[in-house]
Amino acid sequence: MTEGVHPTRLQLFLGMQQVALPSFGGGLSAWSERIVVEDRQWMSKEEFITGLTVARLFPGPNQINMAVYIGSRFHGLAGAIAALCGILLLPFSLLLLLGLGYFYLHETLAVDRVLAGVITASAGMALSMGFKIAGAYNRDPVALLLAACSFIAMSVFHVRLVPLVLIAGPLAMAWYWPRTEQR
Amino acid sequence: MSPLLASLSTTVCQPVSLGDWRNLLAVIWDFLSLSLFSLGGGNTLLSEYHHLAVDQYCWLSSRQFADIYALAEAAPGPSSMIVGLLGMGAAVKEGPLWGVLSGLAAEAAILLPSTLVMVAAALSWNRLRNSPWRVAFERGLGPITLGILFAVGLKILRISDHDTPAYAVSLVVCVLMLRTKISPLWFMAVAGLMGGLGLVNR
Repeated sequence: MTEGVHPTRLQLFLGMQQVALPSFGGGLSAWSERIVVEDRQWMSKEEFITGLTVARLFPGPNQINMAVYIGSRFHGLAGAIAALCGILLLPFSLLLLLGLGYFYLHETLAVDRVLAGVITASAGMALSMGFKIAGAYNRDPVALLLAACSFIAMSVFHVRLVPLVLIAGPLAMAWYWPRTEQR
Repeated sequence: MSPLLASLSTTVCQPVSLGDWRNLLAVIWDFLSLSLFSLGGGNTLLSEYHHLAVDQYCWLSSRQFADIYALAEAAPGPSSMIVGLLGMGAAVKEGPLWGVLSGLAAEAAILLPSTLVMVAAALSWNRLRNSPWRVAFERGLGPITLGILFAVGLKILRISDHDTPAYAVSLVVCVLMLRTKISPLWFMAVAGLMGGLGLVNR
């Protein structure tokens, strides 16, 4: 950390609430960059981008990992928990309220019909997830083969996620292990 | 039909009661052990959630799962919070308070391991950055994540859509998601309206 502001745990908790507020439907990173880098100056832009890279690389939801990254840079585990609670408090409370509403009302005809429409849109969004990142791999036939095998294993042969990752993961890592000489 | 057959056909899948603490521990363990397989921002876990909540524990019908996925996508905040709704669905029959507690427990369980790993990664990134493990993990797991995301997308499509107009709406939304920067909330609002007017059905 260079000359930036050093937030307390409380400031992390409150700042992350501000980050979480407008996060409808994703697309959060530009907004959180504005708060964390420009408004509050906790990090430089470079540090923030490094954080995004780490958050995407490691398991876990990207936005939540980013909050954990920011929190832990300043206060270790305690900072991570403060930031995590901050980013989850409002959206998660709201979601639980919506959930209660759903479980008590979903048998109402009107609610059911509207949801029947909404799920067609969310299914389209789910279908777009793969296409969104597919472009990054279209010059690498081995990557496409790995992707195709994973897809077929899951969709056709109903292989579960954990065994699939545990078997295909090490094979793929061995293939992509950085080589110093040729290739 | 013989009484035995009749009873078999109705008890294929009995909802597991979370009032029994062993069931509760089993459920928490399931989410804890899935946490580190949450690649690609967490969406790779969706079909595993479906398996747990619908096939294994029978907390939800497949149709309710589709509803809950839509709710989590439409609400503000990370859509991976769907785990809280799964936990709620598991216990809401025992009352709203149990529903909320169970939702909190499920969400905490799915986030705990990945958060601990993330803290370790954030603190040691300067050493990890140039490690061959990091390079191989990033480049090797990427294509597998891609294949899994296609499988998950297809699965959600299958459990959500049951007639031609519904599939058509989903395909249009998919193309618009990829080609435009329109907020997904608009797609959900328009599709919800179409559902309300009876243009798309289950």
